[in-house]
Amino acid sequence: MTLAIRAEGLAKTYTGEGAPVKVFGDLSFELPEGVLAAVMGPSGVGKSTLLHLLGGIDRPDGGRVEVLGTALEELSPRERARFRNAHIGFVFQFHHLLPEFTAEENVAFPHRIAGVPEGEALRRARELLARVGLAERGGHGARALSGGEQQRVALARALARGPRVLLADEPTGNLDAASSQVVFDLLRELHRERGMTTVVVTHNPDLASRCDRLFTMSREGITAATGLSERR
Amino acid sequence: MRFETSVALRYLAASRRRAHVALIAGISVAGLAVGVAALVVSLALLSGFQDRIRRQMMDRTAHLRVSAERGAKLADPERVRAALEAVPGVTQVSPAIEGRAWASNPADPSAIPVPLRYRSAASGRLGAGTGGARITGAIAARLHLGAGDGIRLASSRSRLSPIGPLPVTAVVPVDEVRRGSALDKPGEIEVSVETARLLSDTPAGAAAYEARLADPESAAFAASGVARALGGGYRVETWRELNGPLAFALRLEKSVIFLTVALVILVAALNIVSNIALTVVEKKRDLGVFTAMGAAPRSLLRIYLTLGAAIGAIGTLGGLLFGIGLSLALERFRLVPLPSDVYLLSHVPFAVHPAEVAVIAAFAFATALGAAVLPARAAARLAPGEAIRLSR
Repeated sequence: MTLAIRAEGLAKTYTGEGAPVKVFGDLSFELPEGVLAAVMGPSGVGKSTLLHLLGGIDRPDGGRVEVLGTALEELSPRERARFRNAHIGFVFQFHHLLPEFTAEENVAFPHRIAGVPEGEALRRARELLARVGLAERGGHGARALSGGEQQRVALARALARGPRVLLADEPTGNLDAASSQVVFDLLRELHRERGMTTVVVTHNPDLASRCDRLFTMSREGITAATGLSERR
Repeated sequence: MRFETSVALRYLAASRRRAHVALIAGISVAGLAVGVAALVVSLALLSGFQDRIRRQMMDRTAHLRVSAERGAKLADPERVRAALEAVPGVTQVSPAIEGRAWASNPADPSAIPVPLRYRSAASGRLGAGTGGARITGAIAARLHLGAGDGIRLASSRSRLSPIGPLPVTAVVPVDEVRRGSALDKPGEIEVSVETARLLSDTPAGAAAYEARLADPESAAFAASGVARALGGGYRVETWRELNGPLAFALRLEKSVIFLTVALVILVAALNIVSNIALTVVEKKRDLGVFTAMGAAPRSLLRIYLTLGAAIGAIGTLGGLLFGIGLSLALERFRLVPLPSDVYLLSHVPFAVHPAEVAVIAAFAFATALGAAVLPARAAARLAPGEAIRLSR
């Protein structure tokens, strides 16, 4: 089975104000293509940091990340940005839609970053919004949408470029139970439909149990409940 | 439209909804506009005065002057005259004759003689045969003379007479009393060529020949034609070169005023720095999200440079419209009057020169853009993961 994600010996320490905070020192993680994986664990163990490292928006202090056979560390910042635009989608807990723009403009951004003309980018964005059930809401500002709708727009934005890897950081963490179900069902549907490799960080055991694989992260390490086992 | 441009313009438009950002953005734009307007009005004021001096320069000095490269006199004055007359656009050619004399009032023996330099008139208004003189207001006052009175000129040269050497003298009518101008030298008088020849004892030839042109702006082109026709051994100068020190002083004055008033624009640029830095901090999360979507650091840089350019364009355009409008109104309606008996002008003149406006616009826009570079580079260096992590 081909590996979509392979991380070896990852180390990350945050050095901001105050004493440095070591998140992990030697973390390894692998995931085959087409798998929907859930990562669970208490707050502060580095789940979001792991996603950022896998997506190349943060750089590890040590170790190596390969996504779809490409070592992210070996790419220049520009190449890494292009790779991310083409192959990796991100969904954040707080949707992070840009409030100055409408839903369809938000979804069109990945295309526009890739250089797709504005009109064509918006047309594709409308199609995708229709797919997530928000055809009528495209012209609304991000603030005018409900929490569930905002997260569905964020999901559409993450999928805009047809990525092969989707990284979702607590995509339902900020939603009520009903909206969580809707968003997670949609995410699962799109995952199957598009044959993506998806990593979902979640605190919800019910949702996690519906994934293909479950990883548990703790201070001691990351453990695969099925299949792969990693150590820190 | 590029995505960076859309984002920058939307940020600028949306800042109206955030009072503190709107205030700083407003101050940035207004500061730049005030600086630009101040520069436009200051330079228009200077240009108004300098244009008048320039016109006087063209009016009162020869447009072309040909003198010998070595020696006090032209070796072949007729050849020089012919060469000047052959230049298209030349309206008058006259010899330049200069010397020193004492001037006095023949009708007022109590008036003290005044030492001065005389020179043959270049403007041609003292035509051949009139024998008149053009004097400055200062000389007229000292000698109690007015237009139509006679003036006695005693040359520093002398002639032999039965009673010994006597100075060469001439009494000529005063054709014109000039009111003071920047170009008038206090001890100088213009006389006709005939009077100058008599006083200097130069019956023929001249130290130089001077010409006037229908279009003084073409003097440089005409000068090169004359120089080619005459070959070596001659010095051909245009009115710009003849008034070089004054022209330099005027340029220097304008440069100093530009640099001084431009400080207002530099202060406005500091506001732009703080405005864009504030937006970078406010939109830190967006920068992280753009990076997650695949935007390269260069794109983030471009967003904020475009924001600086937009603020620069709005401020510059506003300042230009206000400054040009105000300058034109000040000139058109003569809003700043002057006592004409003191200043020779009835109002403060303003002249807007398009080239200067272009320089001001370019300077202001470039400064605004430059001000955006520092915060824009900070945005491009931002760690996206941290931006997203800290903005939860």
